[in-house]
Amino acid sequence: MKYILMMTANKSEWESFAKWSKEDLAANVAFMRNFTKQLKEEGVFVATEGLGWPQQAKIVRAGANGLPATDGVFPESKEFLAGYWIIDVESPDQAYKIAARVSAAPGLGGKPGSMPIEVRPVLSGFSDMGL
Amino acid sequence: MKYILMMNTMKQGQEQQGILSWPKHDLDAHIAHMIKLNQDLAASGEFVSAEGLTFPDQATRVRAGNDGTPITDGVFPESKEFLAGYWIVDVPTPERAYAIAARASAAPGPGGKPLNMWIEVRPIMSGPPK
Repeated sequence: MKYILMMTANKSEWESFAKWSKEDLAANVAFMRNFTKQLKEEGVFVATEGLGWPQQAKIVRAGANGLPATDGVFPESKEFLAGYWIIDVESPDQAYKIAARVSAAPGLGGKPGSMPIEVRPVLSGFSDMGL
Repeated sequence: MKYILMMNTMKQGQEQQGILSWPKHDLDAHIAHMIKLNQDLAASGEFVSAEGLTFPDQATRVRAGNDGTPITDGVFPESKEFLAGYWIVDVPTPERAYAIAARASAAPGPGGKPLNMWIEVRPIMSGPPK
């Protein structure tokens, strides 16, 4: 069963990342690279991506003529996806254990960040929704 | 340049859950639109990946406890947006990404009317931030 592990942060949390020391940032990046490598070695890795900063986000909808209408204003409370992993594991508990590992990625001062990770099954097709 | 196109839904809005109560032909038209979009993106060489997620009621929040074991919680703020699905496309300009997002946005809903739902578009990082 495929699960997605999502890391999210609101705008002010994103801004605080930008103020981390170079060492703290480097430790976090090294952890993330190693984490992905470990998932591959464990045979559970499917995909991972890191997303651009919230300032680069646009919200798009189709206008009446089908042309894109874009807007860059988001509510203050909005959580922006920072990145995700997709893993293929046997049970939700295994997915939660893997999420806890990435939750403990080093943060400010090298201390485990304990950031929340949202875990949800991924659909393999519309049939999974009963459609 | 790679862009992610994210379809978000509110738990309370029931937009995503609402899909299960659509008449079958409306649902079929919606699914056909999405399948055609993926096929067109594959044919133009712009398709990188796409996934659909399960409903918000299956989401769990996990964090590491002091000893590294997972602490799980299923309670989310009412204001939270849930990711319903996404596409990753590889296109030369943001405008092209927005045009593709508009196509996804216009997927037919009940009565075959375009949903014109919001799609969040953001570049993908090709590496960690400098």
